[in-house]
Amino acid sequence: MPLILIAALPFLGALLPGVMIKAGRNACAWTTASVTLAALVGLLVHAPKVLAGEVIHYRLDWMPVVGLNANFFLDGLGFLFALMILGIGLLIIIYARFYLGRQDPMGPFYTYLLLFQGAMVGIVLSDNVLLLLVFWELTSLSSFLLIGYWKHLPEGRQGARMALAVTGTGGLALIGGMIILGQIAGSYDLSVILTQKEAIQASPLYLPALILILIGAFTKSAQFPFHFWLPHAMAAPTPVSAYLHSATMVKAGLFLMARLWPVLAGTDAWFVIVATTGLVTMVLGATIALFKDDLKALLAFSTVSHLGLITMLLGFGTPFAAVAAVFHIINHATFKAALFMTAGIVDHEAHTRDIKRLGGLRHLMPITFVIALLASLSMAGIPFLNGFLSKEMMLEEVARTRLGIPLLLPLVVIVAAALSAAYSFRYLGHVFFGDEREDYPQTPHDPGFGLWGPPAFLVALVVLIGLFPAAIAGPLVAASAGAVTGGDLPYYSLKIWHGFTPALLMSVLAVMGGLMLLLFHYPLDKRWIATRRPEAKVIFDTVVALCVQVSRRITDVLHPGSMTRYTAIFAITVLIASAVAWNSSTLAAPGRELLPVGMVGVIGWILIVVSTGILVVYHRNRLLSLILLGVTGTIVSISFIYFSAPDLAMTQIAVEVVSIILLLLALNFLPKSTPAEGGVERHLRDVIIAGAMGIGAMILTLAIQQSDFSQPTISAYYLENAKTLAGGYNVVNVILVDFRGFDTYGEIIVLGIAALVIYALTEQLLGGRVGRKLADRPHDPTLSGDLHPMMMVVATRVMMPLALMVGVFIFLRGHNAPGGGFVAGLVVAIAILMQFMASGYDWAIARQRFTYHGIIGLGVIAAILTGVASWLFGAPFLTGAFAYYKLPLIEEFELSSAMAFDLGVFLCVVGAVMLALESLSRLARRKDDRTRTHPMDIDPSRTEDEPRPVPPGTAPAEAH
Amino acid sequence: MGADLQTILPEIVLAVFAMSALLGGVYGGQDRTAPLLVWLTAGVMVGLALWIGTATGTRTAFDGSFNDDPFSRFAKVVILLSGAAVMLMSRENMTRRGILRFEYPILIALATVGMMVMVSAGDLIVLYMGLEVQSLALYVIAALRRDSARSTEAGLKYFILGALSSGMLLYGASLTYGYTGTTLFSGIFEAAADGVSLGLLFGLVFLITGFAFKVSAAPFHMWTPDVYEGAPTAVTAFLATAPKMAAMALFARVVHEAFGAVVGDWQQVVAFLSVLSMFVGAIAAIGQTDIKRLMAYSSIAHMGFALMGLAAGTAFGVQAMLIYMTIYVTMNVGTFAFILSMEKDGKPVTDIRALNMFARREPLKALAMLVLLFSLAGVPPMVGFFGKFYVLRAAYEGGLAWLAVAGVLASVIGAYYYLRMVYFMYFGEESDALDGSMSPVAWGMFMASAAIMVVGVINLFGIEPMAAAAAATLVN
Repeated sequence: MPLILIAALPFLGALLPGVMIKAGRNACAWTTASVTLAALVGLLVHAPKVLAGEVIHYRLDWMPVVGLNANFFLDGLGFLFALMILGIGLLIIIYARFYLGRQDPMGPFYTYLLLFQGAMVGIVLSDNVLLLLVFWELTSLSSFLLIGYWKHLPEGRQGARMALAVTGTGGLALIGGMIILGQIAGSYDLSVILTQKEAIQASPLYLPALILILIGAFTKSAQFPFHFWLPHAMAAPTPVSAYLHSATMVKAGLFLMARLWPVLAGTDAWFVIVATTGLVTMVLGATIALFKDDLKALLAFSTVSHLGLITMLLGFGTPFAAVAAVFHIINHATFKAALFMTAGIVDHEAHTRDIKRLGGLRHLMPITFVIALLASLSMAGIPFLNGFLSKEMMLEEVARTRLGIPLLLPLVVIVAAALSAAYSFRYLGHVFFGDEREDYPQTPHDPGFGLWGPPAFLVALVVLIGLFPAAIAGPLVAASAGAVTGGDLPYYSLKIWHGFTPALLMSVLAVMGGLMLLLFHYPLDKRWIATRRPEAKVIFDTVVALCVQVSRRITDVLHPGSMTRYTAIFAITVLIASAVAWNSSTLAAPGRELLPVGMVGVIGWILIVVSTGILVVYHRNRLLSLILLGVTGTIVSISFIYFSAPDLAMTQIAVEVVSIILLLLALNFLPKSTPAEGGVERHLRDVIIAGAMGIGAMILTLAIQQSDFSQPTISAYYLENAKTLAGGYNVVNVILVDFRGFDTYGEIIVLGIAALVIYALTEQLLGGRVGRKLADRPHDPTLSGDLHPMMMVVATRVMMPLALMVGVFIFLRGHNAPGGGFVAGLVVAIAILMQFMASGYDWAIARQRFTYHGIIGLGVIAAILTGVASWLFGAPFLTGAFAYYKLPLIEEFELSSAMAFDLGVFLCVVGAVMLALESLSRLARRKDDRTRTHPMDIDPSRTEDEPRPVPPGTAPAEAH
Repeated sequence: MGADLQTILPEIVLAVFAMSALLGGVYGGQDRTAPLLVWLTAGVMVGLALWIGTATGTRTAFDGSFNDDPFSRFAKVVILLSGAAVMLMSRENMTRRGILRFEYPILIALATVGMMVMVSAGDLIVLYMGLEVQSLALYVIAALRRDSARSTEAGLKYFILGALSSGMLLYGASLTYGYTGTTLFSGIFEAAADGVSLGLLFGLVFLITGFAFKVSAAPFHMWTPDVYEGAPTAVTAFLATAPKMAAMALFARVVHEAFGAVVGDWQQVVAFLSVLSMFVGAIAAIGQTDIKRLMAYSSIAHMGFALMGLAAGTAFGVQAMLIYMTIYVTMNVGTFAFILSMEKDGKPVTDIRALNMFARREPLKALAMLVLLFSLAGVPPMVGFFGKFYVLRAAYEGGLAWLAVAGVLASVIGAYYYLRMVYFMYFGEESDALDGSMSPVAWGMFMASAAIMVVGVINLFGIEPMAAAAAATLVN
């Protein structure tokens, strides 16, 4: 059977249980079993070749670009693990059929189990590390589903969560390690990586890769300090514990270490990390196991301890240790799976797993007793059982290895072995021996064959291997150990009697010690319960809570929802980035001289700085801020004049006026005072950030202005051609209406649309709930008594024609002297605005004859017609033309198409500004505004029967 | 001119469609037409995606300021399809919430036009134009729920910070123009080849600042959690998908087409943004219980990973980034389809603790969500892992091994909160149940997205060679 099919069969088969459950529980179980059996047979077909040392490959390109290929290979190590996974899997499937109760949904259980099985087989057969990672994470995922199978148990939930968190994290670390490994080796194929020992161990990335890979392996195999998840995962149904946590999943980490042993082992780092971890885990696990009262917890910690033992052996890095490790993997899988199953039987029959509530079961359930007896004696390392053999090999290796001070390692290992023997004996003594009790939750009996058959089969193996090791396990050990060491095997012999060796002595000491420990178990247990010791679950929860807290703290600082904080972070980052950029580049020599600083410049500068400074300090006084804003704007305008840009200055002043009026209107809607925020510290922080930003901007501006751009400016072109091509001396205006007329055309349309949008928005607002609320809002008690002073009313009315005249003048001279449609539009708009401000809204609107919409439309149409007119002359849109005429009495004057276009600009500006302001000021009006009665506070005409102005919206009234 | 217009015909079609839809909406039935408009807009967008997706060759328009090449087409197809998907799946939810205004599909269409222009831009001015068309539409839809203080606050924050970043971008663009004398990317490339002057360097830094804001890379990410949380979920779903792809593609185009000659000058900056985003996203999400905020941090972290591909500065890096973004967008469509359905008593629920024991009541949905969350976390064998793997490899091969290692660390940290959601769904305490339903369309999107995460491992649906071709046009 091709290897890919062996790996794929369980996945394909996973679909079946869900379907077959409809046909009954037996059908479901047998279908599942036959899937596994098929895969097992497929594997066994390869046995002769593999045991003869051949390696079988199967290659399939998947995503060759990233190096991900569905390559499988089968060597001794993979064969051993696949055999365990499928063989024990088969037994578990049978066992689970009888173990699961009526109320447990069987379909999902077998589906998860097969998924898990497929993932495990995938891991051990993969020839591609990426493929291996895929299967690795699949085991985390499917085991998560299996552990949490009994969702109603809170322990089940927490156990699943912890298992997922720990192994999931480890898996992600493993990804990093594997990718580094693959990069060093230049291939992600294991068969290639395994040949690259020198390159890998010489690489500077060896240590990071090693640590990451080991984190993955240690978490999966529950090695210290990640051992704590395994006992908590015991909340799973027993078949799951027996399968995942004794035979397969927890061995995936060992498999990985064994698999990569040829390239990773042999260095000091490997020895120190792996052997020490293994040793610590072995002692720690065994100690805790001795004092656990829950049968499964006892077995769980014993598993931790044995996994530590195997890890330690792998860590030694010698071929002999590798052989011992492989052999112990086989033995551990057989006796531990059997023990878990017996624990499950006890739980199933007696309805408790608490050792303190059990005892004396040997008469009640003799078959189970025999199985448990043989399995636990094997675990304790009693001769004629397989556990003894591999333990002997381990002790032999330990006797000649030195870790730290001499004799330390053997002593520690003897202690661990004694503890191991002790808990094995305890499992027997406290559960099966002793007197029968009256108070079992349910009186236990031996179960049917379905439950005891699978463990019995395993125990048969335990005994057979124990008696005839070389005949039964010899070839398998040789083949798999050969695959681990990747070369010749050292001399070893699998037999019971090796003579009087140090190992035998240690073994005897351990068993004696174990018996002693069991005798003194009662007082020791009391002491143990009395001592405070770190509880892994508590630590885990605390660490998680701490992480959450730290994260919250960070989030609170970074994202409090406050805009000032955000802008501060933004500003600081930009500053830092700028500083880095400034430092990493050399400043070109200044290509331009700075202008001499004159008296006027200094005064202007002082004024602008002072007004800005005062603005910052008194920004809570809104009116004052507005005035200071005006000062700043005016000085900016003046500075344009100072630098000989009268056009800009004019525009700027006009814009300033309009925008200040707009802001004045807005003040109506704002609270009278801004709440004071923050304390001195915060202000200091803001001052520093803002100051740094300002200085940074200044430095950058100075640097830029002193250097030349890569291309000469285009000003010269316009200066040269403004007169000849467009017939105007005012270059700015010529650019606006001629050279870049099309841009201006777009801009006036945008301006018009913006005004219309403001109108539409306010209209919508005023029509609704908000409008009524606005109109009903109470009067400000501190309203000035003199709303419309007579002086101002009279003055504005007198100024109106003058202002309009100025507008026309500025418009007309625009082409050749500072001015133009835009400025003229603003001037006229201001002139009209003055009427609104002085005489009141109603008075002014009553005298308004043209709608602003129309004015905007007219402006756009004028601009369009100007553009279209050039088509009549066969020229492109908006081509300019000009000519000079001389009329009698008047000087020579110019008529140009640009002027018509400028008229469009003018109209648009007037209409847009007025429409926007009018819309906004409508918002400011209340239902009973006093201005409705009369434009002035005093009626200068003194006539009582003057017609009252009509409210807006109706036909405009006649002017008086 | 004719050929130029031919090149931008898809954009013109969508823009004209949006404008006519607006007129139709205003003078037609207003919000009554909204469901129809959603379908219509989605139909047009899918049609355009098919049209663009089947085109071949490389063309430029308007003297090189607009590109129609495999890169832009790749990004456009992803943008159009994800935009259409998000719109369709959120329709039902928005109707229930009473926020399905007819402007919504139109604004999405307009934002999409902007995005299409962005990814095709060959010139700083076109770039800015596309960016603003997109951003302005997004500002508005972020504040779609006008009567909700949070939604309007979100919109306003987004707008102010967005304007700030646009300002930085413009400043950068003008400095770039000043020191290269051109706004064309190809021209900037030539000018920068002789070395980067101080002014140009500042231009580059400010441009990157602007892009970083748009892709919500740390430390310019501050708006993301607030906006994601405040905006209606349907809008959040949109913000988390198409615009991210567009901004990332734009980012890639500018750094490679305009500054491809000086990779060293921006590589470290992008790497810095990448590492910071990954860690900020991963760490800050741990303490979150609001699923929308969580997705915001998740998107920040994901952008960090995508930037990792970009930081590699190679064609493979761009390819990895494109693949990553495509996968990211697909995952997010599915995840948000689920978040949209999170309701209790007709009110939207965003607390992840409400997912308690969700698996018992809705095993299929829970399983699909589990797949998506694992994929988001980058756990093999889900497709999300391959995305991460591509960028990690790109970074490693681009000489940024430290970045790859940091990326692995960040993904380990980030896995925590995805797994926590899985934990709640499968093992949480028993509590009040969510009772929201999913429209068939949303259900379909949700399941399809989850299925893609599993089935996609076969060959990633063949996007790999397409992404390679797209990347090849950008980097040469």
